Amino acid sequence: MENNNSSLSGRARAPRKPKKSQIPYAILVTILILGLGLYLSSLGAKLPAYLIFGVAFGYVLQRSRFCFTAALRDPWITGSTSLTRAALIAFGLAAIGFTAIKYNSVLSGADQTLAMEGVAPIGLPLMLGGVLFGIGMVISGGCASGTLMRVGEGFTMQVLSLAFFVIGSLWGAHDMTFWNRFNENAPKIFLPDIFGWFGGVVVQAGIIVLLYIAALKWQEKKMGSME
Amino acid sequence: MNEFFKKLGNQPIYKRLMKEPLTYVGGAVLLALFNIAHFGLFESGWGVSSALANWGAWIYQSFGGDVSSWSYFASEKAQQTLANGFWMDGGSIRNVGIILGALVCTLYASQFKIKKIKAVRQVVAAILGGLLMGYGARMAHGCNIGALFTAISSMSLSGWVFAIFLMAGAFIGSKLLAKYFM
Amino acid sequence: MAEFTLDCMGEACPVPLMKCEKKMNELKVGDVLLVSIDHSCAMKNVPEWARTRGHNVEIEEVDDGEWEVIIEKTN
Repeated sequence: MENNNSSLSGRARAPRKPKKSQIPYAILVTILILGLGLYLSSLGAKLPAYLIFGVAFGYVLQRSRFCFTAALRDPWITGSTSLTRAALIAFGLAAIGFTAIKYNSVLSGADQTLAMEGVAPIGLPLMLGGVLFGIGMVISGGCASGTLMRVGEGFTMQVLSLAFFVIGSLWGAHDMTFWNRFNENAPKIFLPDIFGWFGGVVVQAGIIVLLYIAALKWQEKKMGSME
Repeated sequence: MNEFFKKLGNQPIYKRLMKEPLTYVGGAVLLALFNIAHFGLFESGWGVSSALANWGAWIYQSFGGDVSSWSYFASEKAQQTLANGFWMDGGSIRNVGIILGALVCTLYASQFKIKKIKAVRQVVAAILGGLLMGYGARMAHGCNIGALFTAISSMSLSGWVFAIFLMAGAFIGSKLLAKYFM
Repeated sequence: MAEFTLDCMGEACPVPLMKCEKKMNELKVGDVLLVSIDHSCAMKNVPEWARTRGHNVEIEEVDDGEWEVIIEKTN
């Protein structure tokens, strides 16, 4: 393509082999996705929507290189917290929307509200699982969503780790009979239950702001810059 | 034809839209937006790993195994999901969507390349990491999406607790990586 | 003003970043490091790390999904 000298290294480059545009393949895959969506719509009304959301998440993850693993890992490795702070922003924004939807479902007076949707028990399995997952995502170079995204990008290593993720899930599901014993008395804590709807939002926002400040301070200490 | 697409690929606006990465904060805002919309439409937040357990169950069953006695798959809903198969399971479709979405973006950017495994240590890291993630995700009822992102968004205290232990795990993982996998 | 190279082809995150950090410590001010990577995330986090550290950085797309990050040590 270009044959310019890099201003930093200042050396002449050898001409590169001609590049081939991959856009035609991109168009083919787009057609494939649309076809799959069409097929799914014949199976169930909501199924194509799952595909659209999946593609949207894949698009955002790939284009922004947003990575939950790096958000939790980079503070330890380089001291950078730029992704940690971005993740906090995602948490804060999503919480506002989720809470609004939940509050609306409670106000509507339905028997089955959405209030406790996504609220999980805090027990030993959660904590142990967190440590295991944390180790796994760092050494395999990607978390659950990141692994899927990298499979799409063509990483053979992540294809392997996805396969063993599936095996590990099956193994974990098998052992849940054992682990669930520790969840019997584990509390499910929904913040608005303790602080009220408004108080819950304030507490959550407070946690996020404090963590954001802590992340800035951490990076300044480790890297000498908040940028 | 190739000339046309090459030209298009080098067009400044196309490059900006399809090639140059979005900022991390831009990604965060979009992920939050899509997760909220997901919750609004399906009345459940985004998750990745529980569908992967279903994949495991289907593969196990195709080898003649039976998971119906496991308490994890015992509920009627779980049995129904397993009986209906892959293309009726929203979570599985969504995961396929993530792979396809990432693939199509990489192709539009002309940056697709099969990246081969380079060293034995990468094989060990991928196997060990995959197993730990799969097992850990089942214990915690989710991964960094379901038990972290969606849980915190759902105002569940469990999300923050999970975050603390994930960070501890990431610390241990970083040390292991520096020692054995570099 | 020496020039060093670092081959991170086929390495997944965060290995390129860690190798880079290690290598940069061995360089003197004014030296240049050429890092070859084919990991799309490293193509963002390696330059970002180097910029935060105050070094001069350039990225060049060498081939489909392959980049060269050129870092000049400034401090």
